[in-house]
Formats: sequence, structure tokens, C-alpha cells
Amino acid sequence: MGTLMASTEASVEATSKPIEHRFSPYDFNGGTVAAVAGPDYVVVAADTRLSSGYEIKSRHVTKLHALTNQCILASAGCKTDVDQLRSVLDIRGKMYQHNHRKPMQTPSVAQMLSVTLYGKRFFPYYAFNVLAGMDAAGVGAVYSYDAIGSFERTGYSAAGSGQAYVIPFLDNVIGNRNRLEEKPVLAAQEVVELLKDAFLSAGERDIYTGDQVEIMVVTKDGIQTQTFALKAD
Amino acid sequence: MFRNQYDTDVTVWSPEGRLLQVEYAMESVKQGSACVGLRSDTTCVLGALKRSVSELSSHQKKLLEIDDHIACGIAGLTADARSLAKYMQTECLNHKYVYGTPIPPHQLMADLADKHQRTTQIYVRRPFGVGLLISSVDSRGVPHLYQTCPSGNLYEFYASAIGARSQSARTYLEKHYETFATCSTDQLIVHALQALAGCVSGDDELTVDNGSIAIVGKDQSFTLIEGDALKPYIDQLEQKADNDDEEGEEEKESEAMET
Repeated sequence: MGTLMASTEASVEATSKPIEHRFSPYDFNGGTVAAVAGPDYVVVAADTRLSSGYEIKSRHVTKLHALTNQCILASAGCKTDVDQLRSVLDIRGKMYQHNHRKPMQTPSVAQMLSVTLYGKRFFPYYAFNVLAGMDAAGVGAVYSYDAIGSFERTGYSAAGSGQAYVIPFLDNVIGNRNRLEEKPVLAAQEVVELLKDAFLSAGERDIYTGDQVEIMVVTKDGIQTQTFALKAD
Repeated sequence: MFRNQYDTDVTVWSPEGRLLQVEYAMESVKQGSACVGLRSDTTCVLGALKRSVSELSSHQKKLLEIDDHIACGIAGLTADARSLAKYMQTECLNHKYVYGTPIPPHQLMADLADKHQRTTQIYVRRPFGVGLLISSVDSRGVPHLYQTCPSGNLYEFYASAIGARSQSARTYLEKHYETFATCSTDQLIVHALQALAGCVSGDDELTVDNGSIAIVGKDQSFTLIEGDALKPYIDQLEQKADNDDEEGEEEKESEAMET
């Protein structure tokens, strides 16, 4: 109808065109997650701010979820989709444990997350995931995902609203890009300090990142958690 | 005397007012190898005697995890038991997903008993040929031991035993059950194994290969003890002998091994 009228009513304002109103099933709740893999550890970090629009809904909501004691799912995006995804993965993980009498290994969790996401290919989980855990050989593993299940194992990753601030920093410091000296082997605690710096930077510029950072270090012995304060603005 | 005429279908009553198919199903439970259960004020322990078909085969798994707070021991048709276990596992997961808390054991048991009963009143089904001993802890930390049978009846016990030669275990449990309330977990385990030791056939013994223990408790998620981990407990048993002398030995060793 718009095109029919265009030739004779070129001077009419845009308000005459039909405006489609639509309920959006998605909300973006913000926040940043990041993970770095090491030779016998993996460090995952996520801020704890939950936003909607320009409002902060909560300063204290976790984006990290331990699926086993060797594997953590870090997710940013739409909180309700993230919660549902966690519930679904927990159920599937528990059934696996009943049938196999042992928890799932990280590479299997990675594959399961991918197929679970693809299962909703045509109404996706609005969840941007980073999976971090110890692989079968005891080496740290990080997997990055898109919303519909495409995934890849990488040495480090970040997702969420502050992704663009964190990844280039990790490229330089963890990936050793654009550096001349030899790539150092970092200890878990050094990586923790680097991630704190990364989140401080992201928190400066990204309005959705701030309040607190939750950092989990996974080793073969389990998961240790610490928190770090960020600015509340 | 009228048994053979009225026992073809589960939906046919005998002149004595019995459902013979259901009773035959209960016979199947008595053929399974023994399974015992007992509880204290904080913990519920299941023990099972695992049977192996031949020397070359593995021992049949008899204790299954249903949820962190619920375990299940089986006697009878293993395949029927696995089907029921799968049903209970999905009910537990579903309840946790919908309501955010572990399922109250009595609610799961009510559903389980109904599931058994349904098979006794429909022409095309047959009763489940398995007895279950279900150990659980409720939300207030109180343990409960339940027993189901093919008829659909549900019982709660302080201690019980089912399966072949289980009368010996029941006798032992009846003798000692009044002391169970304040027993430590290790003491309960030794009681369970001692009760089981009376259920072995012929010259066999209870060993780390054919014994198995499952624990759920107030602050203890489902834990399975099998194989070499069972050795410290088996060593405390008096096999095929009077068991009253053990109490002193148990106290000494249980402190070292408190789980």
C-alpha cells in the first residue's frame, strides 16, 4: 500500500506508512563474561550486573553456573533464556550421570550445549555462552559459542556487552599478538589479575558492565571462587 | 485348589478373593537376590547382594541413584526395576525443574505405588515383577525407608529386607533395630552387610565383589560404596557366625573411617 501511494503523495510524512508493532520475546540484560585456559587450570570471570534498557535491575546476579565440578557455563544475554538453558543442561547432565554413573566430561558438555542451542535454531536461546572446564587430559579448555550453537575450542574468549573491550586486550596479553617477546606461560593467579584488569577496562566504557566481578578458577581439584569490586556507575 | 483356572489374567479374581497374577509377581521378587535397608535418625543405608550369572560375567548392579536424596535397591526382574528407576529419575528432575526443590520422597512414593496399582487393574498390562527398597531423606533431614511390591502396596520401614533368603536378614534386623537410631553411618553399613551376610547361598561369602552399599543422609548426597572401598567394612564382619561380639570392634574402627 505504501508503494502505491508513493508516486502521488511523495510529500506526505512518514506517519502515513503502516507501523508494525510487535512484541519482542527477547530482552537484553547486559554484562560481560570471559574465560582463559591454562595448562592445568581455567579461569572464568563474569560481572554481576543485570540491566534492562538504561536501568540496573540488580547488582548481584551471577552469570556463572557450574554444570559439573570441572565445567562452568558463563552466559550473557537474556537472563530468562540463560536460566532456562541452565535448567535444560542440568537435567540432561543429571540423566547422563544416572546412566553412566559419572559426570559428563567437558568436551561432551561442549557438544551437548551446541546441540541444545541448535535445537532452538528457529527461536533461539538469546544466550551468548562461554564454556570453561578441564578437558579429559587435565588441560584447561575454553569453548566459545554463538546463539545457535556454532562453537569452537579456543585459548580464551569473551562474550556479552563488554566483549569488544575484553577480547583485544586478551589477544595482546594472552595470545601474545603484536608482541615481540616470547609468549609466557602464566600461572592461574596471574591470569586472575589480568582478567581483573580486563573487567576494570570494560567497566569503564560499557554501561552494562560493573558492580562486581565473580572469578572462578577450575583445576582438577574443583572450583574456587573469588569476587572483585568494580565501579557502581 | 482353584488356582489354575483363575490365574491367567490379572483382571480375574479367584474364588478366595485373590488376584493370583499379582501374587505370582510377588514370587518373582522372592527369586531375586537379597537387598536390605535400615536407617538411623540422620542416614538411610541400603545393602545389596549382587548376583553374577557365571564366573565370567559381571555382578548385576542392584543399587541405583534416583536423586541426590533418594536411592533404590531392587529384587526381582531387573529390567522392570530399571524402567521404574528411570520413571523415578525423570519425576525427580521434573519436580526440581518446576518447583525448584528436591521432590518430597513421600510424594514420589505415592506416585510410584499408583503406577504399580494401575498394572493390576488393566487387562493388557502385567504387574511389575520387582520389589524396591527406597531410601530417602526429606527436606527436614529425616530419613525414610520405603518398600514397594508388585501389588501396589507401599510400606514404610525402620529396617527391611527383600529377596532370596531375606528372612535371615529380617531376623537380624529385628534383633538389632532398636539400636539403629543413634548409629553412625559406618555402624549402619556394618549392620547392613552383616544382615546381608546371612543371605548368601551355600558356601558363598559376602565379598567386595558381590556386596554393595548405598547411603543417603541428612548432609550426605547419594554415595555408592562398592569394590575395594567396601573392604574395611567387610573385614569387620563375622561371616556365617554369631554377630553379637562385633560391637566393640566396630567402635574402634568406625572412628578412623568416618565418612
